[in-house]
Amino acid sequence: MNIDLKGQLKQHPGLAAIYEEAAAAIAAAGTEDALEAARVRHLGRKSELSRLLRAIPEMPAAERPLVGKLGNQARAALEEAMAGRRQALEAAALEERLAQERIDITLPGEPFPGGRLHLITQTLWEIEDIFTGLGYRIAEGPEVETDYYNFTALNTPEGHPARSLHDTFFIEGEAGVLLRTHTSPVQVRVMEKEDPPVYVIIPGRVYRRDSDATHTPMFHQVEGLAVDEHITMADLKGTLEAFAKSMFGAERQIRLRPHYFPFTEPSVEVDVSCMICGGKGCRSCKQSGWLEILGAGLVDPNVFGFVNYDPDEVSGFAFGMGVERIAMLKHGVTDLRMFYDNDLRFINQF
Amino acid sequence: MKVPLSWLKEYVDVDLPARELAGRLALTGTEVERISHAGLPAGDGNLNRFVIGRVVAIEPHPNADRLSLCRVDTGGATAQIVCGASNFKEGDRTAVCQPGGMLPDGRRLEAAEIRGVRSEGMLCSESELGLAAKSAGIMILPEDAPVGGRLVDYLPVSDDVLELEITPNRPDCLSVYGVAREVAAITGSRLRTMPVCDIKPRGDDNVEELVSISVADPSLCPRYGVRLIAGVKIRPSPAWLKARLAAAGLRPVNNVVDITNYVMWTIGEPMHAFDMARIAGRRLTARRAAAGEEITTIDGGRRRLGAAMLVIADGEKPVAIAGVMGGQDSEVAAGTTDILLEAANFDGRSIMETSMALGLRSESSTRFEKGLDQELVPQALAMAARLITQIAGGRLVPGQFDIRAKPFEGGATHIRPERVAALLGVTVPAAEIRAILSKLGFKVKKEGSGLHVGVPSFRADVEREIDLVEEIARVFGLELIPPSLPSGMRAIGGLTEKQAATRRLARLLAGRGLNEVITYSFIGGDFAGRLRLGDDDPRRQAVALANPLSAEQSLMRTIMLPSMLMSAAANLAQRNFDANIFEIGRVYTPLKGKKLCDENEVVAGCLCGSLRGPSWRGNGPEPDFYAGKGLVEAMFKELSGWFAVDRTREPFLHPGKAADIFVDGSCVGHVGEVHPLVLRAFDIDRPVVAFEVLLEGLIASSKGIAVFEDLITYPASFQDISVIVDEDMPAADVIAVAGDAGAPLLHSARVFDIYTGSQIGAGKKSVALNLEFRSPQRTLTDAEVDSARALIVQALEEKLGASLRL
Ligand SMILES: [Zn+2]
Repeated sequence: MNIDLKGQLKQHPGLAAIYEEAAAAIAAAGTEDALEAARVRHLGRKSELSRLLRAIPEMPAAERPLVGKLGNQARAALEEAMAGRRQALEAAALEERLAQERIDITLPGEPFPGGRLHLITQTLWEIEDIFTGLGYRIAEGPEVETDYYNFTALNTPEGHPARSLHDTFFIEGEAGVLLRTHTSPVQVRVMEKEDPPVYVIIPGRVYRRDSDATHTPMFHQVEGLAVDEHITMADLKGTLEAFAKSMFGAERQIRLRPHYFPFTEPSVEVDVSCMICGGKGCRSCKQSGWLEILGAGLVDPNVFGFVNYDPDEVSGFAFGMGVERIAMLKHGVTDLRMFYDNDLRFINQF
Repeated sequence: MKVPLSWLKEYVDVDLPARELAGRLALTGTEVERISHAGLPAGDGNLNRFVIGRVVAIEPHPNADRLSLCRVDTGGATAQIVCGASNFKEGDRTAVCQPGGMLPDGRRLEAAEIRGVRSEGMLCSESELGLAAKSAGIMILPEDAPVGGRLVDYLPVSDDVLELEITPNRPDCLSVYGVAREVAAITGSRLRTMPVCDIKPRGDDNVEELVSISVADPSLCPRYGVRLIAGVKIRPSPAWLKARLAAAGLRPVNNVVDITNYVMWTIGEPMHAFDMARIAGRRLTARRAAAGEEITTIDGGRRRLGAAMLVIADGEKPVAIAGVMGGQDSEVAAGTTDILLEAANFDGRSIMETSMALGLRSESSTRFEKGLDQELVPQALAMAARLITQIAGGRLVPGQFDIRAKPFEGGATHIRPERVAALLGVTVPAAEIRAILSKLGFKVKKEGSGLHVGVPSFRADVEREIDLVEEIARVFGLELIPPSLPSGMRAIGGLTEKQAATRRLARLLAGRGLNEVITYSFIGGDFAGRLRLGDDDPRRQAVALANPLSAEQSLMRTIMLPSMLMSAAANLAQRNFDANIFEIGRVYTPLKGKKLCDENEVVAGCLCGSLRGPSWRGNGPEPDFYAGKGLVEAMFKELSGWFAVDRTREPFLHPGKAADIFVDGSCVGHVGEVHPLVLRAFDIDRPVVAFEVLLEGLIASSKGIAVFEDLITYPASFQDISVIVDEDMPAADVIAVAGDAGAPLLHSARVFDIYTGSQIGAGKKSVALNLEFRSPQRTLTDAEVDSARALIVQALEEKLGASLRL
């Protein structure tokens, strides 16, 4: 349209001159004030263009339509140019102001307070999530427990040599009451209450009377129990392999080593291939390429006897792991005691 | 259990290197803690530098009185060696360390000039070879030692040692022979026979006439065997025996004691030798200790015995704590000539209890407490009698005591191959089952469709089919079991409502800037005093540990606050000033007449530092009551619940700046500033706000699943009003009155300002409320809102004496 207008304006050199001068002034206005002055001068009531348009009635009749049309077109074009120029000047002024509002972007941001969950909690939840995903429920039970559930019903009668390995805290004034030394007693409590199939894990605090660089008197275990028809050692192996891969990475392997626990038979200890050296051997795995992570086995028929399950009808597996150990391996924590010092410089790292 | 490899190889023909053997043991159920090395370092040809030499000539050293100059035949060559010892003569055979040889302590010997004379090696003492703690001179070897031969081929002075962790069900493996049997089974190597053979007694006397032996308590002592060896000579043991014991980590004492230890280590039966001359009345009785009896054991400890403990007593007093440790008075020593040799079988549980009660563990008690094979009794006596007469001289006196309640009856069970497959998830062929069990010492024969399995005396741990399944699994190879998941799995996993709520609350508090701590569940007995609990406060009644590690960890907590304050104080002491922490843990409340206590989950926390975190823009407000209450509100909101408050009655909180929390009329917790005296008792020098809410209370208040309410289709109208009321009027009363009067259009009334000051006069305050009116059915008209507002103002004026602030 502008080019078209310029061509048409050739028919009226006076108007063309007025237009060219006004357009140049608008384009040259470097500030909003200069632009306003140009508007008054070239488009205002007293401007040459306004005067020319006002003079149209006095023009010869033959000229009037052409001058009227071209004059109004020129005015519209100039007003458009004016608006465009104003927008450009405003934008430039804004940019200039923003450019001056510089702050130090290297200073730290607002510390929206964010606390951390204890590493034990994070690890527990991770373990719980893996097993709930496999179809397990989470069971809980008392920490102040009877000798019966902690030992006897787990095929560890009084006088059993395994008892002396437990460093048990006993409760004053209540014979046969103690702080549970593992979360296994909850196995028995669950089986007493429910018929098979049972698929549960049991996380929680446990206690042993031992305190040094590698022992704290309280720590955490997760126990697992699956009882159903046709549960096999192969199922135990597959379940723990699934766990190890979820917890420590898909490339991890597990291996079972025969062991002894009173309440499982056969019993095994389970190693995971070392996540630090990838199994090649390093200091953490004592050059073996394997790290022990848990104990497990098929539920001993004697334990089923205590809860009136028929070992000819059902079989089961159980496993137990130390949560601190898992967290230490996964996060490279070197001192067990740090979990219970609760120093925020420790807690905030995870 | 330390098993020197060369000792092991006396009983099993196994060729595997130590590391491979250890790997095989580990994967079949015998954990190898480490492989260590005893005696002379191996490798780098070191063992070739220790040879047997014969002293050809001894001359005085030209420049030193105490040294001699020896010429030593080392087999084909003669070495000149300077020696400081004088306990040998020309013709003696001894161990020669040639230049470059490295001793067990890491010292390396080089050829050197000693006082101007060249010495091409060293004549070794037992202590230098690691066979004894101290030696008076060099080691003199017997005449049969082949001159020029390597020492290591003659004496076990360099050995790889398997350090095994034997599980408590396998006391048979607490012996070199037991481990050999295991190794034979898992490697298919040949097992040699047990090194037990009887020797002929000599003489026309009889031990049964010379001494009197009896068992007064057969339940604690199922078998008791004694033999008499007369005329022994107590001396240090020969070098081979010392080397064996040293490699096993046992300290050589004298020949007789060393032999009893050697027998124990070889076949697993602890033994004891009494000096017969020091046995009063020449009688031994296995009986329970009498109250008040004492004994000084061979380690020098004075032990007070309890009536449940089994002792071996002579005619006057206890001479041994049965199966645990012998007494000093009757121990075999330098002048002993006649020894009563004891091998017995004691009740495992009794030994364990005695050992625990006395705090005294020994190689003997750790074996007996696991329950030993009774058949070891005659075997140990025969083996020891042969070795003693060979090494210490003397003669085995005819006759013996072997007192037992009943003879050993072998156990038996059966196994079905299909049961093995059903439990392991892999098929093990019947022939392989047979082979595995036979190699382990079981007697297997066909019986119906399965196998009848006779259990040997040394495997009392095997009683049932499942025990055999374990034996098969571990020898067959757990690595051959294919992994699978339970085939019938039809369970649905997930969290309970309470577990889910716990997680939500923990995430909420962490999201609000609190760090989670996990503190011990036990606290110190002084907590009640530090918290200023009243004498009749039920929280003083805590579950107490009978055997706490320390007074600070002696009670199970009945309240979380002490744990929170201790954790906060520890952090503040470490200059972790933003110690805003929480814990979700249990409190333990004893129940009258019940064995077990109540264990209730509690969400507790305390705020000691800035709520904003340290920032160059300022640290934000310090925590106060309202900060704590805001967290409590957030927790209840998280579970779609709510609570009521009342001024606190807790003695450990600020009486004016704390509240008790109620759900359905029951107190479920508290929140507020901690009493300054309590803070002082926990060494905290800054204000602390604490909260503690029973998880059950939070859950009880929950309205459950959130149900949609339409706040979107029709807009709300907002009005602000300020009313002047008495200064101590609770804001909650103002809101309650407004709520009643504004119903049903008033949706909420929120306090947005509190003002006290000269503009409204003393004793008064202005409460500014933001009122939100809405209807779920329509947009409200101005007239409706105005009239509802007027009703609210009127009610506040009439019921609370409020006046509208204009
Ligand atoms: Zn590694």
